[in-house]
Amino acid sequence: MSAGRESARSRRPRRTGVPWLVLQLVLSGSLLLLFLLPIYALFTYAPPSEILAAATDPAVDSALYLTFLASGIAVLAAIVFAIPLGYLLARRTFPGRSIVEAVVALPVVVPHLLVGVGLFFLLIPGTPLYRFTTAIGLPVYDTIWGVVLVMVFVSAPYTVLAATLSFRAIDHRVLEAARSLGAGPATAFLTVSFPLALRGIVAGLLLTWARAVSEIGGILIIAFAVYPGGPYNGPVTSTISVLVYNLFQNGNLADAAAVSSVFLLIAFALFLLVRLGERSGWVPWRRGDLLP
Amino acid sequence: MTSWTVEGVESRLDGFHLGPVDLTLAPGRVVAVLGRSGAGKTTLLRTLAGFLPARSGRILRDGIDLTDRPPEARGLGYVPQGLGLFAHRTVERNVSYPLEVRGRRNPVAQIRPLLDRFGLTSLARRYPARLSGGELERVALARALAAEPELVLWDEPWQALDVEARHDLGRVFEELRETERIPVVVVTHDPGLAFSVADTFLVLRAGKVGLQGDAATLLTDPSDPFTARFVGFENVYDRASLEAGRPGSLASWLSERAGPEGVAFPRPVTQSAEEGSAGSWEAVVRGAHPTPEGLALTVRVDSLTVAVRGSWPGTGPVPSIGHRVRFEVDEKSVHPLGGSASRLRSSPR
Repeated sequence: MSAGRESARSRRPRRTGVPWLVLQLVLSGSLLLLFLLPIYALFTYAPPSEILAAATDPAVDSALYLTFLASGIAVLAAIVFAIPLGYLLARRTFPGRSIVEAVVALPVVVPHLLVGVGLFFLLIPGTPLYRFTTAIGLPVYDTIWGVVLVMVFVSAPYTVLAATLSFRAIDHRVLEAARSLGAGPATAFLTVSFPLALRGIVAGLLLTWARAVSEIGGILIIAFAVYPGGPYNGPVTSTISVLVYNLFQNGNLADAAAVSSVFLLIAFALFLLVRLGERSGWVPWRRGDLLP
Repeated sequence: MTSWTVEGVESRLDGFHLGPVDLTLAPGRVVAVLGRSGAGKTTLLRTLAGFLPARSGRILRDGIDLTDRPPEARGLGYVPQGLGLFAHRTVERNVSYPLEVRGRRNPVAQIRPLLDRFGLTSLARRYPARLSGGELERVALARALAAEPELVLWDEPWQALDVEARHDLGRVFEELRETERIPVVVVTHDPGLAFSVADTFLVLRAGKVGLQGDAATLLTDPSDPFTARFVGFENVYDRASLEAGRPGSLASWLSERAGPEGVAFPRPVTQSAEEGSAGSWEAVVRGAHPTPEGLALTVRVDSLTVAVRGSWPGTGPVPSIGHRVRFEVDEKSVHPLGGSASRLRSSPR
């Protein structure tokens, strides 16, 4: 066998590898472009000076404050209520579990304007729930509680699903080892199950937060304008999504673009921070991982 | 020094029935639980550890009934299959876990001598994902011992280890038996390990105790095909494959000596064609590889494939594929299988 043929043979894998790589780059590049182009359009429509002006506008600031406050409460609610539900679905068998799982998926598949309409009829003055929420000091119409309610409804399923999958992925033998080493059921949950599931749960909470801040359909109906009350005591405002919708509908295109840009920058910075934290390994939910 | 008594323990899991199992565990005793996949080995360990309720029978530690105690209150070191290490904790925090959950002060400082003993000091800050198979086994054992157990239950150690790591762990295991004097119940598929560390063997067959005794019991009366193969018989045949043989063949000769579940005999030694005696069988070599004990040959006699041993290195040509060899099967070395499978032997002490 000649040396030339030998080297031709050794080159062959590289030749078949190049089109494959190009295909991957083209396909993933197209999607990234789709993500980036509208953002590019926003930033070109609103010059930096206008973005800065929007960022320092008190009306925008109170909308930002409301949005982050309400979504933060929604994430807290997901931690308190969605993680236990996820654990229940992952670790227990009970009659009707499939139905419960379908119910959890419901808010993800229902158009969110319908959610708002449904909540509207549920909490309309005169209903028992209206009287109850008003009596305990948590009125929902045009308050931050209404915003939180809609946000939890549409976003908590992501934490339930993530927690279910994460708890289910834990090998029961790891928990059995913990038990036989002296940990009671609650200690084993806190020291082993929860830390091991934390990475997936955090991913779910990030999705929950992202879904919560982007919600508009239900909020348009329940809390179009938000009056001070409860944890929010600023001026009358609305969530960022409603604010942008309003500006756009009224023809203030430049303002709509500027406000959108401010929000995008903040959200992008937050996600980048989390990713960097994960990469550097200082976040508690990535301890022991082999992956970067 | 504690002794354990397991009395007629039975348990059930998804239609599978285990037991009754009787066992006595004196300090320093090592019981190897053997059996095919699905025979109930892990079920037995999980029942002893308290993860499956015992339907009947009792588990006693120095006469104290532990049958209804939860797993964390049994004083056991349970190492499950796959080791059950905590991926989110470093080596030292895995090993210190039992002290931590008992609320001891400075748990990590207290386990330093244990890390030292198992050669884990330099790995103390590593996470399990960065360790080799042998290192992981040592961490699991150190962690089990940190709980100061009165009985160690070990499910299939040595699962994915190379030869050297197996050897090292065998030594650790012997130390556990000789210096700690903690009784051990070990589930294993590895005859080398089982025979080097265990003094009692318990063979499970479909949830029932098929055979219980020391190594000599297993060797002189392997009782079923699985145990025969496990203890090292390389020629194991079931009845069906023997009854197909024509009259006067080796198969037919063996079928006359077989039990209900067949027959087992060790590798016979080959003879040269000239010295072949009247009772010897002629065979054709199908495969050959050298071993420290001689040449391991696979030969074909009529319908049967038989493992035999050739002398090597030796004089004369090495038998190779296609060669004819003769061998004789000593009638005394042929064990009928299954004849006494229902018999239950208690351990000698």
